[in-house]
Parts: sequence; structure tokens; C-alpha cells
Amino acid sequence: MHLPYKLTAQPARFCTQYEPHDPAVPEALYTVRCPAPDLSGFPLPLPSRKADYTCFARVGNVHWYGATTGLTRYEPDALRKDQIIQFFAAERDLQDNCVLALLPDETGLWVRTETGVTRIEMRPVGAEEKALMLLHESQRIVDRWGMYSQKHLSVPRDLDSKLPYGHSDNDGGFTSGFAMGELFHYAVCKREKGAEHPDTIEAKNAAVRACEASLLLMHIHGRGNGFVARTYMCAEEPMPEDGVYFRLQGDKAVCLDTPATRERGSFLKMYGTDIKEGANAGCDMRWAGMEIDACAPIPPRLMHLITDHGHEREGIFYKADTSSDEITHHFLMMLVAHETIGMDDPELDALLIDAAKATLGHIIDHGYELTDATGEATTWAKWSERYFVTELGYVDACLNAAEVLAYHKILMHISGERGKWQESYDYLISRGYADLATKHFDRMQQSSLAEGTHPFEDIMYGDHMLAVLSFWALCTLETDPVLLEKYKNGFRSWRTSLAREYDPGYDLPYAVATGDEIDMDRVAEWLYRMNVSRLAAGVSTMKRHDTPVHVLPGGEKEITWLLPNDERFISKYDRNPFTYKDVDSGGLVCVESCYIYTFAYWMGRYYGFFEE
Amino acid sequence: MTNQIHFIGNAHLDPIWLWRWQEGCGEVLQTFRAAIDRLKEFDDFVFTCSSAAYYDWVEQIDPELFSEIREYIKMGRWVPVGGWWVQPDCNMPAGESFARHALYSQLYYYKKFGRICKTGYNVDSFGHCGNLPQLLTLGGMRTYVMMRPGMHENPDIPDKLFWWDGVDGSRVLTYRISDSYAHSGTEDLDRTLDTLKEMLPEKQHDLMLFGGVGNHGGGPTRGDLGHLVRRAESEPETPLVFSSPDAFFDRICRGYLDVPAYKGDLQHHASGCYSATSLVKQLNRRAENRLACAELWDTVSAAVCGADASTEAIAEGWKDVCFNQFHDVLCGCSIMEAYEDVRAAIGHAVTIADRVENAAQLRIVSRIHTWLDGISDPVTLLRHHCRKEGFPRPVVVFNPHAFSVRCPVRTNHPSSAVTDAAGHAVTFQNVRSSRSNDSHLDTLFFADVPAMGYALYWLSWMEDSAVTPDCFRAVEKDYGTDVRAGQDYLENDVMRVEFDRASGTIRSLVRKADGYDYAAGNRLAVPTVIDDHETDTWAHNVFRFDKIKAEMQCESMELAEYGPARAVMRIKHRFGESHLTQDFILGSMQETLRVKCKAIWQEPFTMLKTAFPLTGTEEINTYEIPGAFIKRPANGEEEPALRWADLTLTCADGVRRGLALMTDSKYSYDCQGTTLRASLLRNVICADHYSSRPAADFNYTDEGLQRFEYGILLHAGEAETSDVVREAAVFNNRPNAVPAGYRKGTLPAQKSFLTVTEPNILVTAFKKCEDGSGDYVLRAYESAGRNTGRVGFVCDLADAGFWADFRAHEVKTFRINREGYVTETDFLEGIVE
Repeated sequence: MHLPYKLTAQPARFCTQYEPHDPAVPEALYTVRCPAPDLSGFPLPLPSRKADYTCFARVGNVHWYGATTGLTRYEPDALRKDQIIQFFAAERDLQDNCVLALLPDETGLWVRTETGVTRIEMRPVGAEEKALMLLHESQRIVDRWGMYSQKHLSVPRDLDSKLPYGHSDNDGGFTSGFAMGELFHYAVCKREKGAEHPDTIEAKNAAVRACEASLLLMHIHGRGNGFVARTYMCAEEPMPEDGVYFRLQGDKAVCLDTPATRERGSFLKMYGTDIKEGANAGCDMRWAGMEIDACAPIPPRLMHLITDHGHEREGIFYKADTSSDEITHHFLMMLVAHETIGMDDPELDALLIDAAKATLGHIIDHGYELTDATGEATTWAKWSERYFVTELGYVDACLNAAEVLAYHKILMHISGERGKWQESYDYLISRGYADLATKHFDRMQQSSLAEGTHPFEDIMYGDHMLAVLSFWALCTLETDPVLLEKYKNGFRSWRTSLAREYDPGYDLPYAVATGDEIDMDRVAEWLYRMNVSRLAAGVSTMKRHDTPVHVLPGGEKEITWLLPNDERFISKYDRNPFTYKDVDSGGLVCVESCYIYTFAYWMGRYYGFFEE
Repeated sequence: MTNQIHFIGNAHLDPIWLWRWQEGCGEVLQTFRAAIDRLKEFDDFVFTCSSAAYYDWVEQIDPELFSEIREYIKMGRWVPVGGWWVQPDCNMPAGESFARHALYSQLYYYKKFGRICKTGYNVDSFGHCGNLPQLLTLGGMRTYVMMRPGMHENPDIPDKLFWWDGVDGSRVLTYRISDSYAHSGTEDLDRTLDTLKEMLPEKQHDLMLFGGVGNHGGGPTRGDLGHLVRRAESEPETPLVFSSPDAFFDRICRGYLDVPAYKGDLQHHASGCYSATSLVKQLNRRAENRLACAELWDTVSAAVCGADASTEAIAEGWKDVCFNQFHDVLCGCSIMEAYEDVRAAIGHAVTIADRVENAAQLRIVSRIHTWLDGISDPVTLLRHHCRKEGFPRPVVVFNPHAFSVRCPVRTNHPSSAVTDAAGHAVTFQNVRSSRSNDSHLDTLFFADVPAMGYALYWLSWMEDSAVTPDCFRAVEKDYGTDVRAGQDYLENDVMRVEFDRASGTIRSLVRKADGYDYAAGNRLAVPTVIDDHETDTWAHNVFRFDKIKAEMQCESMELAEYGPARAVMRIKHRFGESHLTQDFILGSMQETLRVKCKAIWQEPFTMLKTAFPLTGTEEINTYEIPGAFIKRPANGEEEPALRWADLTLTCADGVRRGLALMTDSKYSYDCQGTTLRASLLRNVICADHYSSRPAADFNYTDEGLQRFEYGILLHAGEAETSDVVREAAVFNNRPNAVPAGYRKGTLPAQKSFLTVTEPNILVTAFKKCEDGSGDYVLRAYESAGRNTGRVGFVCDLADAGFWADFRAHEVKTFRINREGYVTETDFLEGIVE
């Protein structure tokens, strides 16, 4: 592995959509004669059946083949293997897949399809340039009081039509992920351009804002006990129905009546964690209307995220039942923030340390669980041995053991404290948590054997980033050689399913943590082939003639090669990129956060994996 | 959950060993009948049995018994395991053979019993290659039972239960039987049961006890079962249940499980088995190669010519091959008489393959346009007089590999010129034929053939008057190609080989790309006789063959051939009453130095090796195993391998270089430090099992005439980055030439039917799906041990072109439907729901 890998500007897709008779569309597009291509003996697989190709245009040594099932670009002399054959399809690139005519000009290609016209230009874009393009799009569209997950549009494809509200179940986790990318961005700018450079200042502002937004989730609830909210909404926002919410009313917070809170009791009961003690013991309907103390203050430094937009604390409703996903992202954000910006912003650093201590203190004091208003553990934030012996916990144990160990190492690193944190860490080690952290592959195999499924069918793809973050922290902070080797092996046990994704967001932390080789060519391809917008316009992974489908024993279907980013669906770090499906997560009315790209790119720059 | 001891009632059945297959067949029938009786007598008893071939026998010979078995299978009291045709040797069959074991067996089980086997089961096989986890998994089995090597032979392999990780990352949950698969008799059962009972608290998981008279069949006796029932009733604290491996693994996976993992080979038990009885090894390799080729040309022919595919015939051939891969057969340790049966059975398979291939290729040839206007017309009228008329004859060369090949091919007549379809002159040479008749000459020419395709060549007749004495002599002159030769050297653009006249070995072996001499002061290709009198046929408890008895003495050395296409150095050696003739053949631009051998072996208790002592440090051994390769320590242990073995080391100049040996029929190698050796034959008493050898006129495993070839490839860098895999593939499966007639055809002079974009992805099967749907099935594997993305397959024949990602060593099977859409499947071709 020769580092740093030299990234260069690569052609990126710019597709502009037009109504069929838009004045900008050249008349010639309606009269041009496009012969069907002769593809007999074509040397490479084609995305459409040969019989489906109906028209052909050539610009220099670039061939465009239009089909009834999409558009193929063929550049036999392309420098990169992945760029020789490229596929353009609806809805991402085209309005529909039935290509009727092609008209090249000096800078691009006009494509007429059954329902519209598209202009395609392939413009060289640098990897850093793309990071900034995506960042600016996210700041303009996705930002919701400093939180970054995704934002919906009222008009398909129209980025100016963003809705003013809209949250994600994992706002906290995604925002911390975004923050890490911008923290690395800041650190790189500062190192390369100096602290006072405008780019550095801009990066710092973006990073700080995201850090503050994440930190605010640790205080917004006013519980003062180290709890962390998933997300929050202001008073005028419509209340979603997909979770457990508390509305702040003076010094109290009241649980809102939602289908989720109504079902909450039975859900808990189903997993054997029904309340056994206390005022709400045995009560299935206990959540809605529950009133709890919420008098802990929000640090003044963080209040501006609410007040800047004319809102106030009163009436805000926050989402509870927080999962380990959020906690893990937050702890890693704290680590990265401490390393990259802590010295420059002591006030923020102190807030990070306080928040880490409060959160981990809560977890330790509650038997290694995050407890909600009832005093019982939230559904998915349990790192306790009593959870690990349950059916669900048995499979989760390997990841969760690593997570909670990572929280300890991070806290001790950023605070410089040992004491109770070290005692707790040692206790967990004595209970076998480090060994447990190495067993992921074993248990995944065992589970799939028991269920008669393929091991990959049992993967929660959202767990991948949690594992990456946890082991990355453990491997970089642990100094005991025996424990370090265990953590490396733990990371390697996840590598069994991570490797095939060639995702630099996973591969770069893996390389940092273990020192093992990764495929930098594939890392580069992943960056090069990322779209310049996170508009979640779908493309189908089904029906491609060049893409086999693999039906797994449990019934899941996968494609058998990793389509480049610009030819598959847009998502965060939480989906199986081999999924065989026809629809997208958000579609034409959704813009995703840029962090999947910016985290990977800036981390790579920070650690010297690549340069431009 | 209380941990249990699962009594696995089974009968180990060797269909051939110290008896011939006919007796084995009878033994199967008797054992199955006895098992049915036991099932009727004991309500909870469960019987476990592997090997689809046995069920097939019973179905054909005793349908009534078969029906009873089917009923018990439905009830879950008779459990078929090991979804392979027999319990094969697990080191020597090719990866494709294991695919066929699973394909034909699991489909048989599915068709007859509505289920496939979940547990792989090779309790007696002598070693288990590191790619078996993948080969098992792709055949529908993710759990495995094995026994050898025993704990005394390899204590590093975990006892009882462990995760076995293959070279590609596949994993099977494996149970290692640590003592016997055939416990029987009250004392034996009690002792074993007590041992397992004591073991339960430490292991913290269930254990299995394998009981039943075995080897020559039998199974659990009424007395055994009655005793176990009584003991279980009288000792409630003994958690004994009648069970099956399937039930054992099901239970294991539903509880807490923390067992060790082990990666790589499970070796060694019977290290002598990979070289003993060369006959069966040679037949096996030939049959595997021939069937694969026949099937692909049959598939192509069916598509091009509209003929029916010979799927059933090919399956029949493969079943013969699979049957004779039974561990005691392929390992060469059965009685001599059994090998006459083996010769007939595999001969049957080879004959099927040859007939199918011949018909397929001739059908294709008949559609190739070979018509020459103005020439063909009169020739056609004088169909058999083209030689008299002096017209060139068309010859079509077929390449079975999914990569283009340039290599020598041979036809049984001399030629005055050879041209390709475009009229370009082709390097050729008239070489001495194997016949002593007419011209005594064959044409050897270099064909360039596209991937899995053919190319047309034109051979001009050579008049008898042109045959001069010089045609039979190696005349030293410049022939205008890269081939050079003298009385003690051969040379082409790739390498220069110098021979030591006194010893008949190689004294210098220079790879011209960097000028490095791989001999570096040593002598290479040293025919070395090993003293092997202390061991039995298996070589039980012997893992190194390092007692050198002698180096064979050189009797003669001559430059036998020299021309534009190749040069041949013929060296004859002798030891006692045994003789070895080696033709060192170096072709134009060829990377592999071929060594064609004829041995007449008479020495009892000996092994013949060819030794290549290199010089360097940081030596690494690489061996081909079924469908992959593996690195093993250079510790002198005899190692099973398939077509090639390699030694790579750091030379004095700091550069990594390697020498690979490839063979057409051998499976055994060793490497002590920096000396790589291939085992060419092993001549010990047949079926000598820990014997005291009373005086007798014994039969020996490798006595008499042996013909085989090995090749020498030099490379820079590690083995996996070299051309060894492709070279070995071509070495074993060479393009063949088919004489054609003059026809007006629709096919062009050259065509490829299947191409693969990446050189490290090799195709091992191109066939029609077994379900009769007409779909195509294509299987390929990654051969360089590196993750390889975006591998393109183009097959116009099936209107298909698709991409796939391969992880290192991964085997993939694709099914292509009539519209060219592709499904990735496994060895079972997507037939099993």
C-alpha cells in the first residue's frame, strides 16, 4: 500500500432535466437519426440486452448507446476500469429509461426519452471539490438547527423546495458523523492553510455547529442524568408518530400520546423487559401522559442553536428511547473533536468532557444500560450482561461489548481521568468483554446456521459503522498489547462482512486501527463515482442485464458485484449496497446528508491516505 | 440446557478396499437391511449413512428396501449425510470434482427423498484440504464431521467441535471424531461413553458418539443398541440420546456456543497415499480434464448446431469418476485387483468424454467456413485426393480455456507449410511420430486460439520426396526463431537450460528476463530414489520421505530434436533394474520447460522424486489445492497438491523468485528448506496395512511402465502473481487439433464463445443446467488469492454478458437463462428450493 494515494479530478455526471418542449432543448433532438448500434462481438458486458439498444451516438472515442432500458456510455480508452462502461438510468440520470434519440454537442449529450429530455455532461471534479459541493448542498438543504440527516422537498428534484422541518430517528448519530467529517476537514485546512485561512475558519464553523448540535441532544431533555435524546423538534413542527416523545413544559416534560408510546408497553413485554417495580409496574399504557422532571439547564453555549431561529426551549419536544447508535457516534465525535479542535476551543472541549462523563456515568450507574423515563433500559442501548444472555442480546453482545469499552477508553483519553472509569473498564475486561468483542463472526455464523440463512442475511447494516467506530477507538487508544490484539481481531471479525463494500468510511478506520492493507484503488473509485448531489433519486439494481442476482438461502436477494456509487441507491452508512431492489430510500423528494462522503474523504486526508 | 451425548448409529462402508466393488455393493445391501431391522426393533434409534452411490445401488437392486429407507427418511429416523457420491479423498480431486459430487448427490437426495444433506461427512478420509469449507458450503453443507488426522497426528486441530475456516473465508462448524467412527461392543461403548461424559463439563456443549460395526459395513448391532438403552434407563444422569449429526448441530447452534476457530488444511494422516499407485492418479486427472472439455464443447455445439446436450452421458461419466475418488481408491491403497475395475470404470468415463467431445467438435467444424473458391470445388469432387492435388488441408484447433492460448498442437502428418486463416506463416516443425510407418513424421505447429474458442489453420502437405534423413536428426543451425540448442543446452527467448552431461541433470537454468540462474551452483531435476521400506501403503506415522537411497545414474544424453518450433534433450537414467527416460522439451516462446518421462520401475519399497535445490532465504511453499492454493511450511513433510507446487525465495540479490513444478498426473510433493521435490512414483506393497509382511510374492503399487510429464516454470515474485495457474491448466488440458473438410459454413475462421476479462479468474465448467430447462451453467474461481472486482464475462452464445466480484479464492456458479439474465447460484444450480 503506497501512501499517500494521488487523487485526481475525474469525470462526474451532471444531468439536467428538461420538459420535452423546453425552449432550451435543440430542435435537432427531434429530427436526428440515430442508427441502432451493431454490438455483435462487443467485448464487455452491457447493462441492457443487446436487442434492447435502439440508438447510437459517438463523440470522439466515447460511444453512447441508447436502449429501451437505459443509456450506456462506452469509453474503451478510459484510464480507469470502472469508467469504461457506465450506465445512466431513471430516475437519477434520466426521466425514464426508454431512450429515443441522442444528440451530442461539444460539451455534452442531449438525450430524448419517452417522457422528457436530459442533458448529460461529464465534467472533471476533484475529490475535495466534490466534498465542498456536497457540504454546501447539505448546509443549504439538510441542516436543521445544526443537525444533519436528510431533508424532504415539496417538489421532486427541486432543491429550492425544501420543507422547513423533518427529522430522522437517528439525527444524533448522523449529526455526529457529519461533525467528524467536518472536524477532520478543519484539521486538514488548519494544517495545510493555517488557522486564519478563510477555508479553515469556514470548516471550523461547520464543525463546531455540528458538535454543538450533538451536544445539545445530551442536554435538551433537561433530565440532568446523562441521558441523551435521539433528536428534538420545535413547538410548531408536526409531531411524528414513530417514537417516544416528551414535550418540555416549564421544569417538566410530558410524554406525548403516540402510537409508539401506546405500543411501547407491549413491545417491552415482548422482549422480557417489562417494568417489574416502581410506580408504573405492570402498566402497559404508562408512557403517554407521564410527567418527569426536566429542570436541568442547557449550557448557554448551546442555546443559540434554538434561539438563532427564533425558537425557545418551552414547547420543544424531544425523542427518547435512544439507542446505542447515537451514543456510539457521539463518543467518537467527542474523541475526534477533542483531538482536532479541543485545544483551539477549550470551552467546547470542556462541554465534550462533561457530556462524556455524564453519559458514561449514567451507563455505569445503571448497570451498563441507558435508562429512560421509566427507569428501565431503552430498547437498544444495553451493554449489560443481563442483556447479553437474552436471545437478542446474544447476537448484539459482540458489538455492544466493544462499544461500551470504547466509551471508557474515549472518556479516559479526553478527560485524562482514570478512577471510577478505569475501575469500570477493568471490571468489564474481567467479565470477558474484550473476548466477547472478538466473537462477532462466530455468532453471526451460528445465528445463520440456526436460521438456515446466509450469514450476510443476518447483518444489521447499520451496525457496520458502529463496529467501525468502536474498534477504531479501541485499537487507537488501547496500549495493553494483549487487549490491543483482541480489539484488532474484533475488528477483523467484522471485516468479514465489511470488506466487500470497499467503503472508505469503513476501510480507512480499519487500516488506521489494524495496520492491515486496504485496496486504495477501490477507495478512490468509491470517491470518484460518488454523485455530486445527495438528491436521493433512485436507480434500480434490478433488471440490469449485466448484473446477476443472488438469491440467498433465507430469501434475501443481492446483486453480485458492487455497482459504483452513481449507479446504485443513495444512502447513509446503514444499508447493504448489494441490495437487489427497484426503489430508493428517499426518492426525488429527499436530499441526504453529505457525511457519507465528507467523513470518508476528510478522514483520509487527515490520516494521509491520499492527497490531491 | 443440559448438554447431551448423541449416539450416532452408523456403518462405515468402504465400497472398495480390501475387496472389489462387487463385494462392497453386497455389503451395502446387507448393512442397509440390518439398519432397517434395527430401526424396527428400537423405536428411538436413528441411523445415519452417507454416500449417494450406495442409495443408488440399493434403488436399482432392491427397490423394496429402498422404499423402506425412504419411509424412515421421511420420519427423520434415517438421516442421509455427506451430500457427496462417496466419502472421497479430500485432497486430490479437482475443485470441479467436488462440485460434481455435490451436484449429482444432492440432486439425487432431493429427487428421491425431498431433502438434501445438511452435514458434510468424511469420517475416514485421510486429510482435508483448506478449501473444503467453501466446497462443502457451495454444496449445501455448512456443518462437517471428520476424523483424520487423529489427535496423535495433529494435535493443533481442535478436538471435537470447532469453526473450520477455509482459505476463502468460508466457514463450516466441524466435529472432529477423536477416536473412532465405529464403536461397538459393550466394553467399547461403555468406555467411550464414560470418557465423553467426563468431557461434557469441560466442553460445555453436546458431544457425539459414533457407533456401529464399520469399514466392511455392519452398523450398530442389536446387542449394542440394547445395551445403550438399558444403560440410559439405569443411569438417568447419563444424557444419552439416539441422534444424528444434523440433530446434533441443530441443537448446538441454538444454545450458547464458544468454540475455537482453525484455518487451513487438516493434515496429515496417510502421507504416502498421494503418490502410491500412479495408475489411479493418472486416470483421475485425465478423466477430470476430459469430462470438463467434453462438456463445454458439447454445450457450445448444442447451441451452435442445435443438437441436444449430452447432459446425462456426462453425468454418468462424472459419477464413475466421483465413485473412484473414494478415499481408499484414489489414495492407491486398495487391493491390486480393484484397480482393474478402476481402470475400466474411469476408462468408461473417459470414453464417454472422448465420444461426446469428438461429436461436438466435428459438429462445430462442419459449420466453419473452410471453402476456398477455385480450389475447394475440384478438391471436393476428389474428396480424398487433396494431398495428390497439393492443396492445403484445414485443421481447426480448439482451446478449452477461457483465455487465449498460444501453444503447440500436433497432427499425424508432416507438412511443408502451416498458415493461419489470414494466410500468415505459422511456426511449425515436423517431428518424429510415434509410429514407424510412412513418413514417420507429425506436424507440430504453434496455434494462437481465442478464449474458449477455435482457430482455423491450413497445413500444406509435405511430399514423401521431401522426407530426408535430416528430418530425423537434430541438426544444429539457425532456424530463424528463438529456439536454440546444442549438445548440452536448450534455449528460447524465455530461458536457457544447460545440462550436466555426467549426471544428466540441469546445471544452469537462466530466466532471461533478469538473467538469474536458478541453479545457482546446484544441480536441478535430480532423479532421486528414496528408501521406503519401513512404511506401509499409507505410510502410517511417516510424514517425511527423506531417506535418500541413491541418485539415478545418467546413462546417456542426446539432443533428440531441434527445429524452429522446439528442441528436445533426451536423458536416460538407471537405478538397479529401473530406467527413467526424460525428454526435456523447450518450445518457441514457451514459458514452461516440459519434461516428458517414461519410467520402467522395478525397485520395491522405493519412491522416485525429482529434486530442485534452489538457493535463497525466506522460502515459501505454495501448492495448488482443489479450487485454490495454499501456503505450507517448507519443513520437508510430504504434501498433497494438485497440478502444481512452487518454491519461492529471496535470492542473493534480494529479489523474490520462484520455481514451479507442474505435473499432468502427480499429487505429491515435498520441500525441505530450499529444495522442492515432486514425487513421481511410489512402489510399495499394495494394500499393506500395518502389515508384518509374511513372505510372499507381493504386488507393488507402481511396478512396471509409467508415462507422465512434469513441467518447470520460472518466475519473479510470488507464485500467485506468476503464470503458474494458467500454465498448469494448459499443461493439463491442451488445445487439440481437428482435421476439417472443405465446407461452406456460417461460422468464421476464428471465434471465441466465452471470454473473461480478468486473468486470475478461471472457468472450470460451462454446461447445461441439470433440470433440463436449457439454461446454461458457468462456474469460475479466483486463482491468485486476491479480491477481484468487476470481472466481466461475455458469452454471446447465451446472449449474456455480466459482471461479478470475486473474493480471494472464491468459486462462483452462474446460471444463465434463455434471455441472458444471470443468477448466481451454487453447485446445486438453483434446482433445490
